[in-house]
Amino acid sequence: MFRPFADWLAATPVSKTLADQPWVVPTSQSIHILAISVVFASAIMINLRLLGVGARGRSVSQLSHTALPWLWGGLIVLLLTGILQTLVEPVRQFVTPAFWAKMTLIVLVATMTALYARAVRRNAARWDHASTRPLQAKVFAIASTLMWLAIIVCGRFIAYTWSMYQ
Amino acid sequence: MNIHAVLKTVEALPISAAMRGELDGSEWLFPIVETLHVMALSVVVGSISMMDLRLLGIASRSSPVTRLSKEVLPWTWTAWCVAAVFGTLLFMSKAQTYAANLQFELKFACMGLAALNMLVFHLGTFRQVDRWDTDDPPLSAKIAGGLSLLLWIGVVFFGRWVGFTVTSM
Repeated sequence: MFRPFADWLAATPVSKTLADQPWVVPTSQSIHILAISVVFASAIMINLRLLGVGARGRSVSQLSHTALPWLWGGLIVLLLTGILQTLVEPVRQFVTPAFWAKMTLIVLVATMTALYARAVRRNAARWDHASTRPLQAKVFAIASTLMWLAIIVCGRFIAYTWSMYQ
Repeated sequence: MNIHAVLKTVEALPISAAMRGELDGSEWLFPIVETLHVMALSVVVGSISMMDLRLLGIASRSSPVTRLSKEVLPWTWTAWCVAAVFGTLLFMSKAQTYAANLQFELKFACMGLAALNMLVFHLGTFRQVDRWDTDDPPLSAKIAGGLSLLLWIGVVFFGRWVGFTVTSM
């Protein structure tokens, strides 16, 4: 279904021009990995705090307030470099199940994180005290950590599996 | 035994053959190990940049430097060890090729310089951290933080480039 669109995209002048530059993809992927580091580390820090494992020196709301802007900023960089990589190699992305699994997981984890951010913003006191913190905090922490790990797996496996779907 | 002979011996080990996917059932070993390497390096780079940005006076300014380093650096070190173990396995798959690869050498040059930078900072400026723990760090600390950030960005860039020059993945 997406193959004709991918073929059309690959034939556009902008895709061809970018594909002719051998440094574009490695450079974009390097920035992509740096952004993954920022997003993943921010997410893990929040999640570990919610699980009571790390960063106990700061309250949940303080830590979220510090880390979430980095998470969202990093996600924007991931989106931009991801779009660039898709523009250069559309077929590789659109035919590979790992790509679609990754996109689905990103939408889910971003929505969950936005809901978490809103809940903490609205009722910081409740989330800051371990005794009143909703059970969803731990569910969110575990689910989001697993999803980010799965996103990294999918991302790397696009490169290793795409040729199987040509 | 010279270095070339050592690298050749390393490549001939069964575990290196498994990393090349040459043993039965080992076809997916390299991608799996590489993915784990990426996960670990994300934690290394993400956590160390928190420290670097604090030293630059850009982020986490409400956290004392000593508290942030106690919170963050154990994770950095743990993740670095994990990344090093998986990185060694990746290296073993084509030890001779990697050792002769320019990007690979530049990556390790950056990491070596980052280690040196850290050592100088710890033996120097960090000794008087009590004076600026909760303040804007002094210039020498900012230089150390900035250098560390740049060198780790270099490690990631050259690391990713190794993949394109050696395996094209």
